[in-house]
Amino acid sequence: MFVARSIAADHKDLIHDVSFDFHGRRMATCSSDQSVKVWDKSESGEWHCTASWKTHSGSVWRVTWAHPEFGQVLASCSFDRTAAVWEEIVGESNDKLRGQSHWVKRTTLVDSRTSVTDVKFAPKHMGLMLATCSADGIVRIYEAPDVMNLSQWSLQHEISCKLSCSCISWNPSSSRAHAPMIAVGSDDSSPNAMAKVQIFEYNENTRKYAKAETLLTVTDPVHDIAFAPNLGRSFHILAIATKDVRIFTLKPVRKELTSSGGPTKFEIHIVAQFDNHNSQVWRVSWNITGTVLASSGDDGCVRLWKANYMDNWKCTGILKGNGSPVNGSSQQGNSNPSIGSNIPSLQNSLNGSSAGRYFFPPLDSPRAGSRWSSYAQLLPPPPPPPLIEHSCDADTASLQYPHPRRRSLSRPLNPLPENEGV
Amino acid sequence: MSGTKPDILWAPHQVDRFVVCDSELSLYHVESTVNSELKAGSLRLSEDSAATLLSINSETPYMKCVAWYLSYDPECLLAVGQANGRVVLTSLGQDHNSKFRDLIGKEFVPKHARQCNTLAWNPLDSNWLAAGLDKHRADFSVLIWDICSKYTPDIVPMEKVRLSVGETETSLLVTKPLYELGQNDACLSLCWLPRDQKLLLAGMHRNLAIFDLRNTSQKMFVNTKAVQGVTVDPYFHDRVASFYEGQVAIWDLRKFEKPVLTLTEQPKPLTKVAWCPTRTGLLATLTRDSNIIRLYDMQHTPTPIGDETEPTIIERSVQPCDNYIASFAWHPTSQNRMIVVTPNRTMSDFTVFERISLAWSPITSLMWACGRHLYECAEEENDNSLEKDIATKMRLRALSRYGLDTEQVWRNHILAGNEDPQLKSLWYTLHYILFMKQYTEDMDQKSPGNKGSLVYAGIKSIVKSSLGMVESSRHNWSGLDKQSDIQNLNEERILALQLCGWIKKGTDVDVGPFLNSLVQEGEWERAAAVALFNLDIRRAIQILNEGASSGKGDLNLNVVAMALSGYTDEKNSLWREMCSTLRLQLNNPYLCVMFAFLTSEAGSYDGVLYENKVAVRDRVAFACKFLSDSQLNRYIEKLTNEMKDAGNLEGILLTGLTKDGVDLMESYVDRTGDVQTASYCMLQCMKVKSESEVAQSCPTLSDLMDCSPPASSVHGIFQGSPLDVLKDERVQYWIENYRNLLDAWRFWHKRAEFDIHRSKLDPSSKPLAQVFVSCNFCGKSISYSCSTVPHQGRGFSQYGVSGSPTKSKVTSCPGCRKPLPRCALCLINMGTPVSSCPGGSKSDEKVDLSKDKKLAQFNNWFTWCHNCRHGGHAGHMLSWFRDHAECPVSACTCKCMQLDTTGNLVPAETVQP
Repeated sequence: MFVARSIAADHKDLIHDVSFDFHGRRMATCSSDQSVKVWDKSESGEWHCTASWKTHSGSVWRVTWAHPEFGQVLASCSFDRTAAVWEEIVGESNDKLRGQSHWVKRTTLVDSRTSVTDVKFAPKHMGLMLATCSADGIVRIYEAPDVMNLSQWSLQHEISCKLSCSCISWNPSSSRAHAPMIAVGSDDSSPNAMAKVQIFEYNENTRKYAKAETLLTVTDPVHDIAFAPNLGRSFHILAIATKDVRIFTLKPVRKELTSSGGPTKFEIHIVAQFDNHNSQVWRVSWNITGTVLASSGDDGCVRLWKANYMDNWKCTGILKGNGSPVNGSSQQGNSNPSIGSNIPSLQNSLNGSSAGRYFFPPLDSPRAGSRWSSYAQLLPPPPPPPLIEHSCDADTASLQYPHPRRRSLSRPLNPLPENEGV
Repeated sequence: MSGTKPDILWAPHQVDRFVVCDSELSLYHVESTVNSELKAGSLRLSEDSAATLLSINSETPYMKCVAWYLSYDPECLLAVGQANGRVVLTSLGQDHNSKFRDLIGKEFVPKHARQCNTLAWNPLDSNWLAAGLDKHRADFSVLIWDICSKYTPDIVPMEKVRLSVGETETSLLVTKPLYELGQNDACLSLCWLPRDQKLLLAGMHRNLAIFDLRNTSQKMFVNTKAVQGVTVDPYFHDRVASFYEGQVAIWDLRKFEKPVLTLTEQPKPLTKVAWCPTRTGLLATLTRDSNIIRLYDMQHTPTPIGDETEPTIIERSVQPCDNYIASFAWHPTSQNRMIVVTPNRTMSDFTVFERISLAWSPITSLMWACGRHLYECAEEENDNSLEKDIATKMRLRALSRYGLDTEQVWRNHILAGNEDPQLKSLWYTLHYILFMKQYTEDMDQKSPGNKGSLVYAGIKSIVKSSLGMVESSRHNWSGLDKQSDIQNLNEERILALQLCGWIKKGTDVDVGPFLNSLVQEGEWERAAAVALFNLDIRRAIQILNEGASSGKGDLNLNVVAMALSGYTDEKNSLWREMCSTLRLQLNNPYLCVMFAFLTSEAGSYDGVLYENKVAVRDRVAFACKFLSDSQLNRYIEKLTNEMKDAGNLEGILLTGLTKDGVDLMESYVDRTGDVQTASYCMLQCMKVKSESEVAQSCPTLSDLMDCSPPASSVHGIFQGSPLDVLKDERVQYWIENYRNLLDAWRFWHKRAEFDIHRSKLDPSSKPLAQVFVSCNFCGKSISYSCSTVPHQGRGFSQYGVSGSPTKSKVTSCPGCRKPLPRCALCLINMGTPVSSCPGGSKSDEKVDLSKDKKLAQFNNWFTWCHNCRHGGHAGHMLSWFRDHAECPVSACTCKCMQLDTTGNLVPAETVQP
């Protein structure tokens, strides 16, 4: 269903975030190497890095685009306790002719005392607003009152979450029936069983964000959170990356039924929960219609989830982190995509089927020199581990692999271990 | 490492080898199995790697610890620390190099026998081996041996050589260490500090000590319990990890007084802690009796001394296998790769994956970053259309002008790909509605019995509005000597049947044309069922025969026809008995309901009415024919609610384009996300409304759909509905979302077409004029047509410009008659018709000539840069910026065309095939 290809990213350290602009023609990446890169897609579909600059004095955790109606604007956040807003300018030099664009810092948001872990622009109908969250457990919402002047940002709201925050997501719904809403996830790993996802809603009367919901069932650290594009639905879909992938729906209870003025009440349902990633799930991302969810996890795989017409969510695709298909070319024939990690299952099946005789490669192998034979003990260990299954072509098989010693002998004796970064 | 628990070590240089040691040493060779089958005799380690056992060495019993010689040569030289404190050099390789042959089997013996806890080769001076021993009275517990003492006698004091040679047993015994440290103490762990070859960090009994071999009398130490497993971060040589019970302490050697941080305590005691050699700041820990390896990702470089920030640590855990893990080892060079061994010596090779971050682009492609690499993944085009996501479907449908066929509305389902029965039903329904609407309006003009406004409100309202009692009467079956009760068709029921498509317009109640069209489309079963429901069993049989003989239909249709012809009216006949049981085995729902109909008791048709696989329109038409008023109302009500809950578009037939219809569409959108269909469908309702505007006499809005209306106000009820629907927030929201989607896909032309389509049907959605150019002199708008724009306050007629301005005066302001500004390129006052472009090359001109003429209107337009405020004729400006980056006005360096990035994007439709 999906084919992957690699793009030379040329970041000097781990890439922490990838973000597309509204049209999907531009992309920004950020990395532990403290830089942000901007990529433009050519008409032939190739990505070209058109800008790369040092943005922070620490790892850059997230980068995000503003809606193009506010110009070409990026926001980034970093371990260095700041978030920054960047704007592309057309410089006096001929940057454009060299295929390079120039980005200037419009503001630095320095309110956080700790690492700023996420930054997101609000949906465009709310104006030019920016939310950040930080490890000290505070969500801050900034607004640029004058969209022509991006150096002026005023801190509008500070929401205390009591827990170290790791991720935020705006509800993208632009319906007037839905008040502005932001979901916050926490990766606090202390053993207390506090709910790690809180949802705040803007109250027109008090002009403040108030807690609307807490997802009590999510008690493990949350690494990512994402509202699906609303697309005219009467409810909101929220995906959560924690120790598994979870999808919640939040259906607003009709206003008439609740007391006016208070926060909206929601009927919350968990519609899917998948632990196929085996352990931690790191990221979740929705496609433009909110119908396909992509998740990445500790098993090094990217999985795609989709609901059928009965609202049953299923895995519809799985790819390894290096782009190779999981069940396409591998010859083990393990085509069951629902098995999270193939390794243990394979091992088990091997163990199960290997009851029988075990012995070592034949002694007359050309590799078995005098040294070896004098030290080798030919009895299997007391509880015979399932080492090698008897087969008549063991001889030829053991001859096939390249001789490692030949390579090492041809090199000069190196007293320093190679891997020490001295 | 106890005797039962295996440990595992990667060879430091031969990256495809590792050793498992428990009571013996086993050397394995790892190879990739990506492109080959698993070889016989090898042990699968992971999906794409397998290990082959090369050799086993069990010469060194009572092993306590093992360390691999760090230099290339000799191959597979290992130091083994034993329970009696002796350190033995042994090998698993097949090295014939005589130079080191004598090293093998060499033993280093402490003065007093006690357990050897740890071994560490010096990373710089490869011959130095440090051994940490248990305490024995006042003896030293850290011994540093020089394994080559015999071969390099010049650096070893003569005395030492003599001593070792003096041993009676064999010359391989060495008893005099190079250095002795840690008197009166026990050593639990050791590591050499890469800062200097003579610095050794040791975890002693109750403290961590740094020994400096240049001055053995001095040591730096800090009291702590965390003395086990000291290990230096290979990327930050001042960072050290050690552990005690379940807690890991991270130290900074520059401020050694206390740990920089301690990691979350684990309930079980730790057994191993190791830094990843291939990636910065990744520490792996293992606790006893656990199948999880816990990883601590210290994403940030240690901050300089004095900065008290708490480093961010991301904790994660991996579960490489189901069993408990005895030990693990990082691969020395492969990125983040490690191998684990369980107590029963099963091994698995796996890679700790970096956290992958990912993002969907608006066009269905997925980008993710894994480590330092980016991967883009796009959906393949030649995909099964049924599995396509709605996003892809909507894109394709937008390109195929879905929803824009306003003449033959039913054709839209073909534009949508002709694959979704619900869409087909929806567009046919809309087609009939619009068609009937027009027809009834035509009729209304002749006779004032207005049923027109009922049409869009769906069959539910139509049925409700007919409160006059309908009598049933006996009708003869054609070709059979039988009679059935059929409702007399009143006007409403005829209308309903027409909406269902069974009969054509007019008072003609013949289903013949409908049957013919079904037969033409090859829907034999459906045609036969419809014929049967119209009491024409002969026609039904005939149709089935036709289907069987056409070759396209099922040959079994003949059999069905035969069964049908055996119909008998007797209550207790065998035919009736068998048919009512066997019909359930028929796959085709229409065949099934035919027999259900024939075997049913008069008046109870549940077998037909609740057969969900039969199209809603056929069931409704059937109900209209056979059910009494109260039954029909109940049935329609029930079916409507069912459709609404399921979001089934077939139900639009029942609800029409009313508030009920919006509810239904809402659950359809909730279910599918298909705002495109929702938008276009609801726009049709605006079409209904705009066409019936004239006919509407009573504009009061009333929402009476839910209660049964009094007969007198039947017409008033529904007239407000189209406006209601149009104003419904949900409908507006769907339209907004769909437009937003088109924008994100850069389908701007499609969006514009949609807007045009929309404003035709809903004039209120037309945007107001956006830009006015005002005259420099009088400040009035220079537009001639402004007077026709309704929101413009003052018309221009009062300034002496009549409604038909003379063409000769286009270069001057209509308000004050002063000339307009000059084009920056041709220097003629704007408003004049353009000549062909002066800047373009000759060849371009010729090609563009015909085009230019066509575009003359556009080329005439004013255009200017908002930044430098220079401008001219649009055509001239475009041709200038084809070759230039800067503004054509002298000394103006504004890069007018590059200011807007979105402006430079090409609409996606133009690059689509």
